[in-house]
Amino acid sequence: MQIVTLAIKDLRLMLRDKIGAFFILVFPVLMGVFFGLVMGGTPSSSRGKMKVAVVDHDQSEWSQRLIAELAKNDGLLLETDEWESARNSVRLGQRVGLIAIPRGFGETAAILWEEQPEIQLGFDPSRRTEAAMLEGMLMQASGALIAERLRQPTQLLPRLDELRRGLSESTRQDPVTPILSELLDQVADVIDSADQLQRVEGAAENQGGIQMQFANIKNIDISEHEDPGSVRAQLKKIRSRWDISFPQGMIWGILGCAAGFASSIAREDARGTLVRLRAAPLTKLHILLGKALACLIACCLVIALLTIIGTALGMRSDDYAKLFVSALVVSIAFVGIMMTMSVLGKTEESVNGSGWAINMVMAMLGGGMVPAMFLPQFLQSVSGYSPVFWAIRLIEGAIWRQFGWHEMLLPIAVLLMIGLLGMVLGTLVLMRRYK
Amino acid sequence: MIIAQELVKSFGSIRAVDGVDLAIQRGECYGLLGPNGAGKSTTINMLVGLIAPDQGRVEIGGASPRLAATRRRLGAAPQALSLYDELSGRENLEFFGRLFGLTGRSLRERVHWALDLADLQARSRHRVSTYSGGMKRRLNIAVALVHGPQVVLLDEPTVGVDPQSRNYIFETIERLKADGMTILYTTHYMEEAQRLCDRVAIMDQGRLLAEGPVAELLKRFGGNKVVVAQVTQYPDGVKLPETLRDGQLRFEAAEPMETLAKLMAQGVRFQAIQISEPDLESVFLALTGKTLRD
Repeated sequence: MQIVTLAIKDLRLMLRDKIGAFFILVFPVLMGVFFGLVMGGTPSSSRGKMKVAVVDHDQSEWSQRLIAELAKNDGLLLETDEWESARNSVRLGQRVGLIAIPRGFGETAAILWEEQPEIQLGFDPSRRTEAAMLEGMLMQASGALIAERLRQPTQLLPRLDELRRGLSESTRQDPVTPILSELLDQVADVIDSADQLQRVEGAAENQGGIQMQFANIKNIDISEHEDPGSVRAQLKKIRSRWDISFPQGMIWGILGCAAGFASSIAREDARGTLVRLRAAPLTKLHILLGKALACLIACCLVIALLTIIGTALGMRSDDYAKLFVSALVVSIAFVGIMMTMSVLGKTEESVNGSGWAINMVMAMLGGGMVPAMFLPQFLQSVSGYSPVFWAIRLIEGAIWRQFGWHEMLLPIAVLLMIGLLGMVLGTLVLMRRYK
Repeated sequence: MIIAQELVKSFGSIRAVDGVDLAIQRGECYGLLGPNGAGKSTTINMLVGLIAPDQGRVEIGGASPRLAATRRRLGAAPQALSLYDELSGRENLEFFGRLFGLTGRSLRERVHWALDLADLQARSRHRVSTYSGGMKRRLNIAVALVHGPQVVLLDEPTVGVDPQSRNYIFETIERLKADGMTILYTTHYMEEAQRLCDRVAIMDQGRLLAEGPVAELLKRFGGNKVVVAQVTQYPDGVKLPETLRDGQLRFEAAEPMETLAKLMAQGVRFQAIQISEPDLESVFLALTGKTLRD
């Protein structure tokens, strides 16, 4: 009961401090809205390679050529995979996207007058910028394939002959058929001529922009696995950029809570109220737990507030039960971090300063400031050490990544461990300090 | 009610409290006097259980002050204003009342009583940040009393307050005394201790120099009464107890009226005479060789 009394007092103090309340409650919303509006924003630097899965259903010479063309891009790291595994890896954020080459691709690929086979492109919705780049690279590779076809007229001529034969055998009596037939004859003549072929080849190489329109690329939703006509699937189709920006806003709110409550112990010490609390029939653990509970409630409130505002703007959670669990786990983790931060200094200023310094590093490494993709490779490799990385991963898992409970286990375990360690460390140091 | 035996507390190489013994009876108002840095607040902190003594022991009502049950019987008003500025006076009282286990009607009644005591009913819903220094001091004491403790420790409760609020605080403490509350009062204002305390202990550099009822201390250490007289006429050959300076005669005597009568009989005439009783300031001077505000 006393812990609740302490927590209510701290929450009341938080809300009465207008600037503090702004950074904990309003700022994260602004962050979420701002990043939502600019989502898709700046192009990626070439510092990090995009991991892309390739699913080759065709296994033909031409599908292999397409993969080889794609592999020429320095910015891509291609990994061949099976469809389900590739889709999951993108959904889990392990890869930027997937390219699925359909069966029969090799039969008509890069033949200009044939309907182009549909290449499926799936990508992580939080990496729209990279997805656009990937689509461009795919177009470029398809263009290169067309040039390749034109270099091999012997492969084109049989298809051309088939078409001409079909037209001549046609019983249709319309004015277009004779014209088309004559046109195909002329094309065949052109291909027969090595000089003409050279000219066409040169044009193909020099006018990459024109070639791209001949690739048939279909963007697919990597999270789709149920009936596309279901309400759930329909909702997903209209899901918005807020799905991506609001988790980041939530993280900033939680970081604000952690820093704010971390300095509250030093503040109580400075204003003398800690003496009064310690003179009350409370243990030091009661006082700490009161702070922890207040911080936990504040973190959950921030997530709830952002969920409500985000939902109003168009954010959708796959599973609100999972979002609730995620909110709780992330809050517990940051309560632990708050308790460790609270003992980093003895004055309010020192705790505040060190707390925000840690926040910034955690946010930067963990993808709270910019997507981890934009970081240099060596920084990307240490993202996993940042609690922010796991927190975003878990919240996104509940909002749009469609994490199953088993997939949530790892981030939950990591975050709970961080929370527990933080609590123990903070408690021990504080107990020692006020022995 | 309060027992402290051989209390010792050091901070690094500084011995803040050095072998302090206290025995304060139920219903007594006990003054702990000394200049700043004498070790009064450290002693209070040990009595409240905020810091553990390096040596010695403390008992409040026969139990350790570190026990929750003992703390419920204790109220402490720290020297620094220990209030939440963002909360109103009423909210501060309610919060601390709840921490001490008050709820519902009893909480409301006690908060009402404490607001009356501090004369803050009219401003009870205003934030503490808008209060004057005197109002904050009164609230600081009210918070210590809201849960109805049997023992209250008031650490320099009148520091930085205006004369009006100081008087109000004195009256409050006198009311508490009349209600039979045990009070430990620390101050470096001797006149406060003389007015309020049944017994006082004089402390300097972590040690208790003397202890007892005020009258007894004055008798033992206060010295003679001090006479300051403005002399208008004195005949040649009359021997004065001290040298006359600018027409003013200043001397000390156990029975000053006798001395003055003898002088007047010898033809000495005075325009004004002031006789001062020895006070605790004199006691402190006699004990330490320095004044309280040195």
